[in-house]
Amino acid sequence: MSADVFLFWFLAILTLAGGLTTVLVTNPIYSALSLAFTMIGVSALFVSLNAYFLAGVQLIVYAGAVTVLFVMVLMMFDLKHELITFTRGKISGLVKAGLVALFAGLIVGSVLITSDVFSKSGGAPEAVIGGDTTKALGTILFSKYIFGFEALGVLLLIVAIGAVALARSKGGTHAK
Amino acid sequence: MGHDIFEISINAIKLIVVFLLIVQAVPVLVWLERRGSAFIQNRLGPNRIGPFGLLQLAADAVKFFFKEEFVPANAVKLLYYAAPVIALIPATLAFAAIPLGQPVQWNEYLFRLQGYEINVGIVFVLAVSSLAPYSILIAGWGSGNKYALMGALRASAQVISYELALGLSIVGMILIYGTFNLTEMIQAQQAPLSYSLLGFTLPLNFLPAWGIFYQPLGAIIFFAASFAESNRLPFDLAEGEAELVAGFHIEYGGFKMLLFFIGEYGHMIVASALMVLFYFGGYAIPGISLADLNQWTADHTASANAASLLAGLLTFVCFFIKLSIFLWIFIQVRWTLPRFRYDQLMDLGWKTMLPWALFNTVLTATFVYLAHL
Amino acid sequence: MQNSELIGEIGLTHYLILSALLFVAGMAGVLLRRNAIVILMSVELMLNAVNLSFVAFSHYLGQMDGQVMVFFVMTIAAAEVSVGLAILVSIFKRYKEINVRFFEHLKG
Repeated sequence: MSADVFLFWFLAILTLAGGLTTVLVTNPIYSALSLAFTMIGVSALFVSLNAYFLAGVQLIVYAGAVTVLFVMVLMMFDLKHELITFTRGKISGLVKAGLVALFAGLIVGSVLITSDVFSKSGGAPEAVIGGDTTKALGTILFSKYIFGFEALGVLLLIVAIGAVALARSKGGTHAK
Repeated sequence: MGHDIFEISINAIKLIVVFLLIVQAVPVLVWLERRGSAFIQNRLGPNRIGPFGLLQLAADAVKFFFKEEFVPANAVKLLYYAAPVIALIPATLAFAAIPLGQPVQWNEYLFRLQGYEINVGIVFVLAVSSLAPYSILIAGWGSGNKYALMGALRASAQVISYELALGLSIVGMILIYGTFNLTEMIQAQQAPLSYSLLGFTLPLNFLPAWGIFYQPLGAIIFFAASFAESNRLPFDLAEGEAELVAGFHIEYGGFKMLLFFIGEYGHMIVASALMVLFYFGGYAIPGISLADLNQWTADHTASANAASLLAGLLTFVCFFIKLSIFLWIFIQVRWTLPRFRYDQLMDLGWKTMLPWALFNTVLTATFVYLAHL
Repeated sequence: MQNSELIGEIGLTHYLILSALLFVAGMAGVLLRRNAIVILMSVELMLNAVNLSFVAFSHYLGQMDGQVMVFFVMTIAAAEVSVGLAILVSIFKRYKEINVRFFEHLKG
């Protein structure tokens, strides 16, 4: 077993465990912390796929900003263990769990069935993306996808204004 | 890690040494801070044990080891114990990516004087240090104490807010040097300083091409924001003694407290190292270019290996001196400036530093565009 | 597919299955949990799973477009979370509760 293979299984198990804990733990703060753990795991998986820049951005944006926001909000609310963690109603809960399992089987099955297609078409060009992909990412982002990038900037501006408008409260230290 | 046993073992030892560097720097810094603050305030400071009170560190360590181990009644035990350990991770990981000296060429092996070489070093350092709020939040919430929680919320909000200004102030450097790689950034700062724009050139050959001469505004914002990032005065709202007793580590004592200390000083060391790296030429000796240095060491030593090793050591010492200057500035600022109020802190971060950092980015981008016309 | 090959050689299929499982875990969270913040977190988990499959495709097909998509998804996810959390904070201030059951009281 080579180092890459070991790394993949190690990270895959850790990430999946983190994801499952996020969903199953009753205390929301533990949920948020294990979500952060999952984000770090996904970032490490990005490194194993040679996407170094994206791995860094994943840590900065998801683990460093988004999940910290979750943790902070949860701590501010100071929620302890919830009484009703999951949906009520045994039948609807069973139906939902069954649907989830069915969906999982569907995706995994379809991936396994079509795996030949990918392995045939995807064997050769792997050498193209061998080393660091940061430069290529920057080039394509600012040429082919420049309008999408600009649209994202506008979106972020709107969202910032919206979030401030929503969270603004009367009183506090800045009341005039 | 390497191709044969020699390279692997040297690299492994290197990682351990880098880790020990940051951990062992802390007692020395604590001593420096206590003595320095005493002289600033016209006192003597700890001077009883050993020469100049230097053995005070050993006495402190013994005290830390023998303190009673306790857990507060309301604490969440797992998180309470996990937080000090997590506090160590961001600073040590970030420090390992910083080049401390010129790479040493030993026969066919190339050893870099840094924990590991990463092509996107700047992104890595920013990414790892963005994980710092977790240990603070976990400590604050895990202690089961409302003062600790308040301190943790304040500290993490502050760290997140100032991360924006910090990141944006580096963007200017990235635009000018066109690289994320920390070693390449140092190489780019070796030439003599000259400003050239639209065909005109203003050579200032007596100065090195350090980042501070290209990005003075960025340097100021970066340095100020790194004070806030490492939760030091004048931004240590998390520890406001008068209102919050001691902040997020109020319930910690003994060795667990020491781990938080190492984390905080580690952030300080990383911030100073980045300051040296981005704006003050990294490990290069001022006035002597790396090529001249290599020539000099080659003339004065017998073999190429020894020359490379000597050059590596000299650059390391130079980096260390530059680093100490910035660490001293950190300490001196702590003991001369008063603390901000919390709303002033947030205003400074969001309404002053962030717009100026954005302005700096736009200005730099314009100049880089004009220079490449 | 041989069993030893499945474990000893990592390909696109492995990353896709891992991503599918993460996605389904997030979906289960959205369907089964009642805390609105945890539901938001599960949505983030699903987005992460999709990002993973994008990067895996980009790596194995040798094209950068997948990574650009991940970049976009991350930005939009951050935007979504900031608005979502702002809404949840104002709801919590009003009702002192963030269980989705209580949102029945919201009327136009």
